Amino acid sequence: MLFRSESEIDKWRRRVGRNRGAVLSLSQVWALAERWYHDRISPDYRGKSAAEAQSTFRALGLTGEFWLAPPA
Amino acid sequence: MYETLITTGAAPSLKTLAEQFSITPTQARRALQRLHKAHALVLKTGGDEILMAHPLSAKPTDYRVTIDDVTLYANCAWDSLGIPAMLNCDARIEARHPLGGDAMRYRIADGELENDGRYFVHFAHPFRQWYDDIVDT
Repeated sequence: MLFRSESEIDKWRRRVGRNRGAVLSLSQVWALAERWYHDRISPDYRGKSAAEAQSTFRALGLTGEFWLAPPA
Repeated sequence: MYETLITTGAAPSLKTLAEQFSITPTQARRALQRLHKAHALVLKTGGDEILMAHPLSAKPTDYRVTIDDVTLYANCAWDSLGIPAMLNCDARIEARHPLGGDAMRYRIADGELENDGRYFVHFAHPFRQWYDDIVDT
């Protein structure tokens, strides 16, 4: 979900009873979208493995438990 | 399916898919269910109606993406940027604020994000849980 500030995120979380997840700037999300979706409608697209997804996250500096792949 | 979604904003029906690929509706339903299992698209629970083909939503959402004169809908903030990334095109995006309901606008022009610096995206679930409930994710 999109917000104007981190304090808005906290307000929304209190309202709907959500834990804090990960917060990225919109420019970080654009970089992620480019890497994630650039080949989505290519005839050669075969989906992303968990390892490929995690590699994409790592290339953008998204590390830590939140971005870890599920156990194989 | 993507071609129809991209050009019309609506998902093709089972009947249309069956005719397009010269298969029976039952075969089309099975194909959609296989794609759903492979996370290539999302079907309505217990049905064969296409809800999502990421980054596109087949239903109106709070993330409206305008490309030329075509309006598309994204599943989330990330997907709103995923549409111009997928199509390699400019886009104007209008999102509805989760608290106030007012419009938040940003755009992609020549591969660059404009109106940046003011917005933040909250990812609710860690990656390992994304496909537990993809609609909520």
